[in-house]
Amino acid sequence: MKKHHISAIVISLITILAGIIASLEFHKLHVSEPLYPSEELTSEGMLSDYFPGIKDTNGDTKIYFFDSGKPGATVFLAGGTHPNEPAGYLASVVILENLIPEKGRVIVIPRLNNSAFTCTDPMEAFPQSFHINTDNGPREFRFGSRATNPLDQWPDPLVYSHKPSGQQYSGLESRNLNRAYPGSSKGSFTEKVAYAIMQMIEKEKVDISYDLHEAAPEIPIINAIVYHEKSEDIAMYSILELEMEELQFTPELSPKNFHGLSHREWGDYTETYPFLMETSNPIQGRLRGKTNEELILDGVSKNYQIAKETGALRIVYRDEGEQLEHRVGRHLSGFMAIISSYNEIHFDNPVEVSGLPGYQELVENGIGKYLNN
Amino acid sequence: MLYIIYTIILIYVTVILGIEFFQERKWKMQIAIAFVLLIFILRILQVK
Repeated sequence: MKKHHISAIVISLITILAGIIASLEFHKLHVSEPLYPSEELTSEGMLSDYFPGIKDTNGDTKIYFFDSGKPGATVFLAGGTHPNEPAGYLASVVILENLIPEKGRVIVIPRLNNSAFTCTDPMEAFPQSFHINTDNGPREFRFGSRATNPLDQWPDPLVYSHKPSGQQYSGLESRNLNRAYPGSSKGSFTEKVAYAIMQMIEKEKVDISYDLHEAAPEIPIINAIVYHEKSEDIAMYSILELEMEELQFTPELSPKNFHGLSHREWGDYTETYPFLMETSNPIQGRLRGKTNEELILDGVSKNYQIAKETGALRIVYRDEGEQLEHRVGRHLSGFMAIISSYNEIHFDNPVEVSGLPGYQELVENGIGKYLNN
Repeated sequence: MLYIIYTIILIYVTVILGIEFFQERKWKMQIAIAFVLLIFILRILQVK
């Protein structure tokens, strides 16, 4: 055997070993962390119950139903549209694990784009997970991607043309669930997931819908409630209510010509009142610097502090950092304020919930206190 | 359809690289090829 054949065999064996290790690491990303719904959970379902076209795919995801047994409105809460926005996902988990429905129904989907939880954005150095300390030890949560796993939808087109509006986005957005609504039963993987969500909202006659998000500190829509024009009264009431808790939220009207987004298409195609909430998340920003788990949890970035002090950019960044408790707390207080405002206007068909911590409680006690395990 | 075309291209390039890998006489070049092959093979096997 020639010398270069021996070296080729040795290098092949090393490569195979590296491949096996990498495969095991990738496999871990496909395992969902356990969630522990509150005792008030009445039933569980799957998104594919509303559109069998996504059954046995990475797009199928668990749906949790909390029915008070008393008449009232139906609320739908979505976390994990973008799994690289951890406060949105974690707020839905805190609600799932603490909720007590008093009137009406609440439907929770914590992993709305389940496929995006199975990969991480390349070239960004994002950690694959983060940990929250609880009374019973740390709990691990996935930090996923903004977009559907390319294994489920590949290749990306150069230009993504949204259906049915024809609006054009960059090709990467074809895997963004929040550019895919209302979706299509015969479309791409992401469009099928979007279609299933629309079917669920319609069939369950959802009255109020929330989509929880985060964005980089330099993005203009931060600490905001984005609302469809038909949700305007509820949004304004809730922002006033939040002001009384000393929580500032900016009202942002959903642009009529900005298609594919939940706050636009859920409202246009169904009877629901849609809302989308955003918090400031430094790990998503271009100026973030060192990218690690501490940045997810503590939200402290020297670069953003400097950027804020120079005044050259409009930055939403607090001097003490954008801690995860603070961001999750804003989502929870926003959730409750919108329900309360809905009840003020629709007093004949209210929805009431209890058991949830507000902003102050989360900041004082930490998130771990409100996680079951 | 595009998915199938891209996968066929990937398999073709992987086979060519695999042949090149065993014909290459410099071990440093073999390592460089192995780096590329690893990623291609994981993609063909749908591991990500």
